[in-house]
Amino acid sequence: MLPLAFLKEDEVAEIVESPHRYGYGHQYRHGAWKFRNGVDQLDCCRKRKHSDDHLLNIGLRPGKYVRMISNSGAGPLVLLIDECRIALGRGIAMKIYVRRIEA
Amino acid sequence: MIIEEEKNKSGQGAASNHRASFVIAVAGNPNAGKSTLINAMAGARLQVGNWPGVTVEKKSAEFEYEGRRIILVDLPGTYSLSPYSQEEVIARDYLVHERPDVIINVVDATNLERNLYFTLQLLELEIPLIVALNMYDEAGQKGFRIDTAKMASMLGCAVVPTVATRREGVDRLIETAVEFAESSNRREMMAVSYGEDIEKAVRSIVEDMKQHGAELVNHGPSRWQALKIIETDEIVLDEMGISADDNFLKQATHHLSKAHGEDLETLLADTRYALAAGLTREALKKPETRKRELTERIDAIVLNRYLGIPIFLFFMWLIFKLTFDIAGPFTEWFDAVISGPLTHWSAAVMTLAGAPDWAISLVTEGVIAGVGAVLIFLPPIFAMMFFITFLEGSGYMARAAFVMDRMMHAIGLHGKSFIPLLLGFGCNVPAVYATRTLENPRDKALTALLIPLMSCGARLPVYLLFVGVFFSAYAGTVLWSLYILGIILAVMVGWIFKKTLFRGEAPVFIMELPPYRMPTMTSLLIHTWEKGKHYLIKAGTFILAITICIWFGLNLPWGVESKRDSYLGHIGQAAAPVFAPLGFGTWEAASSLITGVIAKEIVVSTMGEVYTPKDGDDKEKNAPSVSEELKQIGVSFVGAVGKAVGNVFSTFGIATISMEEEEGTESLKTAIKKNFTPLSAYAFMAFVLLYVPCFIVLVAMRHEFGTWKWAGVTIAYQSVLAWTVSFIIYQGGTLIGIG
Repeated sequence: MLPLAFLKEDEVAEIVESPHRYGYGHQYRHGAWKFRNGVDQLDCCRKRKHSDDHLLNIGLRPGKYVRMISNSGAGPLVLLIDECRIALGRGIAMKIYVRRIEA
Repeated sequence: MIIEEEKNKSGQGAASNHRASFVIAVAGNPNAGKSTLINAMAGARLQVGNWPGVTVEKKSAEFEYEGRRIILVDLPGTYSLSPYSQEEVIARDYLVHERPDVIINVVDATNLERNLYFTLQLLELEIPLIVALNMYDEAGQKGFRIDTAKMASMLGCAVVPTVATRREGVDRLIETAVEFAESSNRREMMAVSYGEDIEKAVRSIVEDMKQHGAELVNHGPSRWQALKIIETDEIVLDEMGISADDNFLKQATHHLSKAHGEDLETLLADTRYALAAGLTREALKKPETRKRELTERIDAIVLNRYLGIPIFLFFMWLIFKLTFDIAGPFTEWFDAVISGPLTHWSAAVMTLAGAPDWAISLVTEGVIAGVGAVLIFLPPIFAMMFFITFLEGSGYMARAAFVMDRMMHAIGLHGKSFIPLLLGFGCNVPAVYATRTLENPRDKALTALLIPLMSCGARLPVYLLFVGVFFSAYAGTVLWSLYILGIILAVMVGWIFKKTLFRGEAPVFIMELPPYRMPTMTSLLIHTWEKGKHYLIKAGTFILAITICIWFGLNLPWGVESKRDSYLGHIGQAAAPVFAPLGFGTWEAASSLITGVIAKEIVVSTMGEVYTPKDGDDKEKNAPSVSEELKQIGVSFVGAVGKAVGNVFSTFGIATISMEEEEGTESLKTAIKKNFTPLSAYAFMAFVLLYVPCFIVLVAMRHEFGTWKWAGVTIAYQSVLAWTVSFIIYQGGTLIGIG
């Protein structure tokens, strides 16, 4: 197992683990955000935890095969999942674990 | 709401008979081709209108079909009914609350599994559903074979293959939609089975809800609600007035949580995904080997670590060049027509009609000079909108966001925020609305605060006027420097905000990169028009009204000797000392800046009015005849076309900024030359770039954020910034002796 961000270009891997509670979800729930700068009234993000599941909705889920299309070692990377190219920040790509598949 | 009434009217006569009108919602993943399909369906009968009410992004179109009025609702792209970004909230709320008569689910045939995951969620809403299997040709080119009959029978809904760009399958889609809307027999749609445990819980929750009475039943079908309750979907819980800690909820999910752990939501999502994957396996035959596609080959270059940014900058430069080269000659022509023939014709007509002098002055010096000064910039604005639309439509825009991601991190944002900022060069108003594609409120607010620093099309008239007078020799460079100044300040301000108001963790960047496509001319034109028409409408309404007010401001109290003693003159004089250290402490400059808060192009139209000599009596006696002038207009238009073509191919600089030289409002130019020095002109342009964004942007911010707070922050920081920067430019310049 290795972090997705370590996958080299053209390598194929199976997603083993992806964080399903990453990101901002918990902040909304506990109101931490509110104390920080008071943007909480923004109706765009009513209290919810679903932002976490965006990875899932966009098709990045355990069991799925991905191919690394672009990974320059710094900055965001591009994956191919089925026929769909997903750009992913390096931070989140370090939190997704994959298993290399021999091509 | 109009749609609501329509539905009630048409809803009465159900059964399988002819209905007068109904509503079709078009939903699907981003980039599945929804808008193109809607354009193809509504065709020439298309009437794209902004949604009445809150959102700009939800578009509807109406068309007639065999005596029925069909309303198509274009929903923002969505991956799921558990929304992530605000756009997704819009789509979800519409589907759940407004319940359209039919849903057309646009599915990208090249990307079945993920699209079907959304389809399965839509089916749970129990609204008649048709799958438009779009981009069917692309799937074919990839060697995919899709068994649509099998798909239809498994999903229990209609599946229509379409190629929206070529209108293929569109007629069948409309027919099927009409049939679905008018048939009364309920179709047996596929229901995802979540396993015995969960189904039992669903049944018991549905029972409970029935006992609870009607107030719970109004937010979607009860099975769907029950599932959302199990998922503890907070939006649904909110809507139903249940809190996650209610006993009702705890009881219902107690044994489930015990058996499956806390995270039922993921469990349900996994079930749906497994089913979507199964459906895809059944219906889709993929070829053994994948071809390396064009998109990949382009991406290898465009996203390259070293080449990415230079390529991006080249495209930006190209857009600016093309915009000004193509639009320049037309602006010049338009200007000549408005300030010449149009002005004397209307004066002549009004004199013939016996209009009093003051009315003639109101029309020619107020309305035509004011609105005209703004209208002549339609060509560059539409040209820039066109190229930006092209970037969006071709798929490059998403790459630009990717390439800029690392740089954007410096100011505490990620690549996706770059798109609204880029749109800001066209007009700040749609740019503010575009922030709704950002997921988290921090990014959204910070991006919106920086947008006004992107020099919008409305500021261009001011630059062009001053650059034409003072810097015609190196017009392109000076103009560029202003755009760059805005960008550099945005980086600095962003960095400061990141360290102060917006501390917090780095945002998460996830974005789909659509395949490259050549956008069709029709869709380019439609979307350019959609973007640019606000400017035109603004000129016709808002700016027209303001120019009239300014005319009165300059001519009241009645019979003032000079404009200086008019009301506006007095206000200008009072404000002028504030601008004195910046090099433009005249009442004329001050009053144009004040009126310019309403919209920046008004700076120019106010100047147009302020600097026109008071007595307009000396009209040219030997005005050329109407036919001669008409001929002249035609000839000069042809000349403009030729020049535009020539510009594009001849030089590699921005060729036509000096356009205002020969023609146009000569008196305004002389007046400006008298009242400004090159240095104070530059300070003035910088001030116009940076000071308070136009009123419409502030309203848009209020609208997007539901509070005046961010508009207030913008006003405060921009006023300080504009004054400081202009002060540094003017005083610094004077010190080193450029004055």
